[in-house]
Amino acid sequence: MGKETPAEKSLNLIRGRLCDPSYVFRPLSASSDSNYSKLKFIVSTSITEGCNNSMLLLGPRGSGKAAVLDLGVGDLLEQFPDSVSVIRLNGLLHSDDNCAFKEIAKQLCMEHHLLFSKMASFDDNSQFIIAMLRACGLAHKTIIFVLDEFDMFAQGKQRLLYSLLDAMQSVTSQAVVVGISSRLDADQLLEKRVRSRFSHRKFLFLPPSREELDGLFVHLLSLPADSGFPSGYVSRFNDKIKNLTSDTRFKDILKTLFNANSTVNSFLKFIFCAVSLMNLESGLLSLENFKAALSSMQRQPKLEAVRDCSVLELYLLVCMRRLEVKEQSSYNFISVMKEYKAIHDSFHTSDYYAQNVCLRAFEHLRERQVICYAENRGQSQTGEYRLQKLLISASELHQGMRSHACCPAILLKLLDH
Amino acid sequence: MASTPRAKTFKSPTKTPSNIYRKSYLSPSSTSHTPQTPETHTPLRRSARHVSRKIDLGNDPIDAPGNDPIEGMNLIRKRERAPRKPTTDVVPSKSKKTETPKKKKKIDSFTPVSPIRSETIKKTKKKKRVYYNKVEFDETEFEIGDDVYVKRREDSNSDEEEDPEIEDCQICFKSDTNIMIECDDCLGGFHLKCLKPPLKEVPEGDWICQFCEVKKSGQSQTLDLPKPPEGKKLARTMREKLLSGDLWAARIDKLWKEVDDGVYWIRARWYMIPEETVSGRQPHNLKRELYLTNDFADIEMECILRHCSVKCPKEFSKASNDGDDVFLCEYEYDVHWRSFKRLAELADGDSDSDQEWNGRKEEEVDDSDEEMELDDEVLKSKRGGLTSARGGANSRKGRFFGVEKVGMKLIPEHVRCHKQSELEKAKATLLLATRPKSLPCRSKEMEEITSFIKGSISDDQCLGRCMYIHGVPGTGKTISVLSVMKNLKAEVEEGSVSPYCFVEINGLKLASPENIYSVIYEALSGHRVGWKKALQCLNERFAEGKRIGKEDEKPCILLIDELDLLVTRNQSVLYNILDWPTKPNSKLVVLGIANTMDLPEKLLPRISSRMGIQRLCFGPYNHTQLQEIISTRLNGIDAFEKTAIEFASRKVAAISGDARRALEICRRAAEVADHRLNTNKSAKNQLVIMADVEAAIQEMFQAPHIQVMKSVSKLSKIFLTAMVHELYKTGMAETTFDRVATTVSSICLTNGEAFPGWDILLKIGCDLGECRIILCEPGEKHRLQKLQLNFPSDDVAFALKDNKDLPWLANYL
Repeated sequence: MGKETPAEKSLNLIRGRLCDPSYVFRPLSASSDSNYSKLKFIVSTSITEGCNNSMLLLGPRGSGKAAVLDLGVGDLLEQFPDSVSVIRLNGLLHSDDNCAFKEIAKQLCMEHHLLFSKMASFDDNSQFIIAMLRACGLAHKTIIFVLDEFDMFAQGKQRLLYSLLDAMQSVTSQAVVVGISSRLDADQLLEKRVRSRFSHRKFLFLPPSREELDGLFVHLLSLPADSGFPSGYVSRFNDKIKNLTSDTRFKDILKTLFNANSTVNSFLKFIFCAVSLMNLESGLLSLENFKAALSSMQRQPKLEAVRDCSVLELYLLVCMRRLEVKEQSSYNFISVMKEYKAIHDSFHTSDYYAQNVCLRAFEHLRERQVICYAENRGQSQTGEYRLQKLLISASELHQGMRSHACCPAILLKLLDH
Repeated sequence: MASTPRAKTFKSPTKTPSNIYRKSYLSPSSTSHTPQTPETHTPLRRSARHVSRKIDLGNDPIDAPGNDPIEGMNLIRKRERAPRKPTTDVVPSKSKKTETPKKKKKIDSFTPVSPIRSETIKKTKKKKRVYYNKVEFDETEFEIGDDVYVKRREDSNSDEEEDPEIEDCQICFKSDTNIMIECDDCLGGFHLKCLKPPLKEVPEGDWICQFCEVKKSGQSQTLDLPKPPEGKKLARTMREKLLSGDLWAARIDKLWKEVDDGVYWIRARWYMIPEETVSGRQPHNLKRELYLTNDFADIEMECILRHCSVKCPKEFSKASNDGDDVFLCEYEYDVHWRSFKRLAELADGDSDSDQEWNGRKEEEVDDSDEEMELDDEVLKSKRGGLTSARGGANSRKGRFFGVEKVGMKLIPEHVRCHKQSELEKAKATLLLATRPKSLPCRSKEMEEITSFIKGSISDDQCLGRCMYIHGVPGTGKTISVLSVMKNLKAEVEEGSVSPYCFVEINGLKLASPENIYSVIYEALSGHRVGWKKALQCLNERFAEGKRIGKEDEKPCILLIDELDLLVTRNQSVLYNILDWPTKPNSKLVVLGIANTMDLPEKLLPRISSRMGIQRLCFGPYNHTQLQEIISTRLNGIDAFEKTAIEFASRKVAAISGDARRALEICRRAAEVADHRLNTNKSAKNQLVIMADVEAAIQEMFQAPHIQVMKSVSKLSKIFLTAMVHELYKTGMAETTFDRVATTVSSICLTNGEAFPGWDILLKIGCDLGECRIILCEPGEKHRLQKLQLNFPSDDVAFALKDNKDLPWLANYL
């Protein structure tokens, strides 16, 4: 083992950047109209002016809601180190009201070095939270409640939301309640009492534009000149990146990627795949790396399942399809075997197998989720008597069979008629 | 209300004062004699001093010759010396000079000498005490809650005779009837005419003398204060001694008299000057600022010198003619954790209603065992922090161990030094947490509630009754009831209404509906029990008429907010609560608040019949009322255009009539204006304009799904178009992924787009389902997955019709 090569160091550097949300979203938040500026302004207003606020961050998954909030809260923690404490809840973990109140009390105790008691009841915890809000308000401290997966808190009686928002309007406190949700109708889920107390500040996180993504691409992949890399390598690497961005084929690759998903998270995954495939000998990214990354991003698992079937499994799939064409919407293994026998008798195929071999092939198809049970009831029945459904469509089956290596020609003929 | 301190100089007795004090400490059983007037003074001199002091206490400017009172002076943190009558009484100067003691900044040495001795004495003997609310001592009245000067050491008595109430001018060293002005930096007093150049009027705002001004500008040349003439000693007022650490200030917490020896004691809560805290004097501290601590001590009343006046910031701003003994106290300092907290203003907090009815008693005999226990607790908390045996901070309701640890190590600078702009004042007053002084637009409803309650509890025949109050959220139901209860409490103190006890419960803050029994019982009796035991006790009280103490004879008013959450499967909770007022001698009045108008009709017949016919409806606010509500809050603050307020009022009145929503829109508009003015600092208009209100409304009522649909990926748009197309083709809202994929395939084939594949298309559909643009089953169903639009198809058509990248989408919509 020798010293780390510049290629490996650059690979680690770029991977570290891709996994750092603040590095990714800092340039996207530079504008004064951005959600980051608005968020930071509202929370800092709560800190400096001693008031309460509540807001809701909405956007598709992967658009940077939690990352931008962490960026803003991190900046405010640096600016006001003694005046801010953050309480984080997640709807997947704390959607139960008792659990949520206990978690808030626990985090408040940890933040202020108090002793937490697990035996406290719902009443004790809720009164404690109100007392802490009052004490922090008198001490000019702001508590930021981050409710991730906000729509999960909006189920049931919504006691947590009501208590937090009601405490913010009746107690002299400084608190900010931030809800984060990928459901765009999250505010419609609120009960009418909670909705009245919520301030309905909604910040929408939309995918960035092409220019912003191009700038982000260069920002993520350019090597800094003042680092420990050899200067010749840095200039070669950065020139390669610049040439890539102006290449027409690269633009087509990005266009295909963004046609399906244009969020930042998808873009980061794509770059991560490409960087992981970088040639460690030359230490440079090439167009082939991005092509391979696009292929891995655009996989079709159901199609690959059909392509990897055996010939007998293909026969069974064709038989199911023919049964559906005959308006027989539900079938089981016995019906499929009848159809298989009929095909054999009509066309005298040379590939005829016994029933137990066919049953094993049938179960193999179900394990790969090409077919599934039609209903969940009647589990006491044997496998061959339960109703089945074909999950792939006719065109998918057709496409898979055409790309199969050793598909008999008779099957294609059988599928068409 | 803080009154002008009644000042009186402590007169010297015939004997040596140190002898008397030493004697009283060594043998507390001996009776302390009232000090006598020294016989050496002539009657004429004593009479002249008495007359002079009487006039000075009045602060009457009419008696000042040749000085017209200045009308309409708006003084901020300015204390003008009232003109005083000249006195010919000259105090003879002492030949001995008292050494100035060193400042003691450590907390450990803060405890004064006197209280330690008194505590030691008190520990050894348990004595009977007579507690007072008011005591006259040395011809001065002292009351619980008063602020006083306290001696620091025994031998500080020698300075006592020299205490002038009137400060000398720092330039001519005379105190006369002319108006003086105080420097805000060195707190020195100056005659207006002694200044260079002389002032004709007291200027508004802050004022610094020329000596401090030169010092602050950092010039190498220092302008020295004039020195006093020879033979005249510069007299220090008590305020100066306190701020330099030679005296203490304290608040009287308790007053009592030992029965055996007749010695008067007080329980003192100490004040601290900023220099004595761990953080020292911080840059934003005012010269006259003190901190209230949580340090207590028992001292004899003879250690008290006289009154001073410690005020909260609002009263401090108005105190312009209150003399030299005025101080500011805004923060509380915890001597154990060395942290600061803002003092909770007493006007905000609601005091316990049970304590109010006790009223003020002249004297009360109390057992000293309880007092000793309290002292032990205080001493224990002085020595160390909390022990883990006490349990967690959140383990018991109403007693949170360690909450006092929550405090600032340093008071942040932006809180004290920041001057609020008009926009910030508007934002503060538009907060939902800000309580308005008056409640506009609900006078009729409040009168109805008042007459209902008064009719229920008047005289001695308390009728058990119920009232159901309903209305949509944000129409002022709860705040109206609380405002009525506050007014009634004031009337109880005046004596025109008989006392009652008031319990307020919120249905959404209970762990379960049955928990309401425990909460009611705890509020009435102070005991914590399970809900079954509580139900039994409440049944005994209300249904069977059993009463234990004298407190139970009072009527009980029960306010249940969010009443509809108490509905259980068999509705037994509501039945019990509404059945109790129908019993004779229950003396229970129930006020229920909920949002639904038809809640009684939904309940069981035997419950709705007990709820009675007393209904009160709070309708949604119309735009005139909303405008009045907002304008009342913004009274005196010039931050909004009138059209902006009207625009917000009309918008909210058209949608919901919710006062909370209207206030939030105006506050959000003020935030938008603040953000706009911060980024564009050259703007001349500082008001909230209509565009800001429009931006706030746009943000609050926006449809985010349309914006998201406009910005989704290309294939997502094609997917949505295919769904709309399927809807029109089949007429059914629900479709399957198989059909949508087939439609997408044909659309892509027709318009030259590459079909992505079924699996990628399935993922696109699941992503749209996660945003709830469409509703979909889990993706594992693949071809059989059921899909449905979550928003109207017109919204999809509106969002996708004008797309630039895909102009042909309009053909399918």
